[in-house]
Amino acid sequence: MSDGPQLEVATPERVGLSLPVAGLGYRSLAYAVDVALILSFWVILYFLYALTGPDVARVVTGLSTFARIAAVLGFFFFQWVYWTAAEVLWRGQTPGKRLLKIRVVRSDGAPVGVFESAVRNLLRIVDFLPFAYGIGVVAMLVDPQHRRLGDLAAGTVALREDEIGLQKYDLAPTAGPIAIGRALSAAEHELLRSYASRFEWLDAAPRLKLGRALATRFGDDLTALTDDAALRAWVTRRTA
Amino acid sequence: MSTEALPAFVARRRPDWERLTALLDGLDARRLRAAELTELDRCYRRAAADLARLQSFYAGTDAHRFLNQLCGRAYGRIYARPPDRLAALRRFFARDFPQTLRDELAFVGAAAGLVALGVAVGFSTLWVQPHLAGLFVPDAIQRYVAEHRLWTDSLELPPSQIATQILTNNLQVAVAAFALGLTFGLGTVIVLLNNGVFLGATLAHCFNGGVGKGLLIFMSAHGVVELSVIFICGGAGLMLGQALVVARERPRSEVLRERAGRAVRLVLGCAPFLAAIGVVEGFVSPGHRVPALLKVLLGACLGAGFWLYLLRAGRGQPGER
Repeated sequence: MSDGPQLEVATPERVGLSLPVAGLGYRSLAYAVDVALILSFWVILYFLYALTGPDVARVVTGLSTFARIAAVLGFFFFQWVYWTAAEVLWRGQTPGKRLLKIRVVRSDGAPVGVFESAVRNLLRIVDFLPFAYGIGVVAMLVDPQHRRLGDLAAGTVALREDEIGLQKYDLAPTAGPIAIGRALSAAEHELLRSYASRFEWLDAAPRLKLGRALATRFGDDLTALTDDAALRAWVTRRTA
Repeated sequence: MSTEALPAFVARRRPDWERLTALLDGLDARRLRAAELTELDRCYRRAAADLARLQSFYAGTDAHRFLNQLCGRAYGRIYARPPDRLAALRRFFARDFPQTLRDELAFVGAAAGLVALGVAVGFSTLWVQPHLAGLFVPDAIQRYVAEHRLWTDSLELPPSQIATQILTNNLQVAVAAFALGLTFGLGTVIVLLNNGVFLGATLAHCFNGGVGKGLLIFMSAHGVVELSVIFICGGAGLMLGQALVVARERPRSEVLRERAGRAVRLVLGCAPFLAAIGVVEGFVSPGHRVPALLKVLLGACLGAGFWLYLLRAGRGQPGER
């Protein structure tokens, strides 16, 4: 496939998979979502504390020192553990990545393990240097598979998981009255099906114009293709 | 087969693909029975064969993209390693971590050497030239020493807060020492030297001010384990640096990936010990609530126990080199 960079995986079934790699835009957005989540966690915590101030303070001072230390440690580790815990439990996705439909996998296509995830997330601080992910962004722009340094060291790649529907192959094949010329190539078939899947969405005039352009390209007879009914019949016939 | 039109092919095979999708959803939700697992395997193999056909005759079509993604998903789930659970965690601390550490002891030693070098430089500089204290020792510490007091005696914060501050600080140094290994090891060397110089200079300054013994006692309870953890994380950083500098005949990315996988074991293995020693440093070390002798004894026991564990655990068991 030719759309964008791919991760090529050789399977034991002797079929090569080419999985699309997520670029800088998707990854930045997913990161922004995750950071917003972590930030709102702290903000909510702060407001809860501020609103119920004295009560909470009394509860906190009432806790044993060990409970207090555990609570503070828990909040602190949250920032570090969040990424790796999410990636391990959700098979390579954090909430942000899930929202943006990207997934981190090992470069052999397998899900990330604890160690790979820990490497790429601990090395985050190097990618962040000198500020705002300077090194990470440059690495992603240079690397053909858009990996930052943490990914390179961990041997991981972020993949895009687009939803691809098969609806455009749905048109029921019934024979029509319009004469057609030569057989179509696979690419032309694909083009025609894209047109057919959008058929109902188009206004009558552009629909006719596009249809006639396609018919010219396929070498079909244009004389009968003058109204919507004929166009419809032609599409049905051609996609049969 | 190439004569079969794509829509007809999709229509014929689509139920199978949809079944595979449903089975994968079930697998993710952990509600598949054994018979369904066998069916999943069969469906995947058939889908892979369909993918091969689409690749040959209909490359670049949406059907090809769809199946490519479906097979990618199934492949990732079918060929996944068994999930790491509690047993794996136990194995990691009982065998994996200490064994890895023993294999990479040279790097830990090098990191320790760098810190020792820093301590020597910092200490000797201030010992010989006490007026240079302003260059190395923070103002706050200088004020305390000028009054012949130790800042560790009069910590106004409650101990738990100190413990968390110390822990976050230690964690930052440890993570930085590891991660900066990616700068061809240079960043790790600087972090280790810098922390060594700071420690040495502070010690010398305290001895000059007559409170050196007090500082040593403060450090005695947690110092050995804490420094060991810094050495180990620094050693992990040096491993990254070495992989980048000396790749020999293999591609750098490959060597880096392999070495980083081992180095991160050292860092993760240190995490619980770092947390535990932070608690000791926050609760036991400051002030005079615990007698000096007890602090020294506790420190010696913790240090000896930690290294006994590192050097003996998992010996002669599988995975030992």
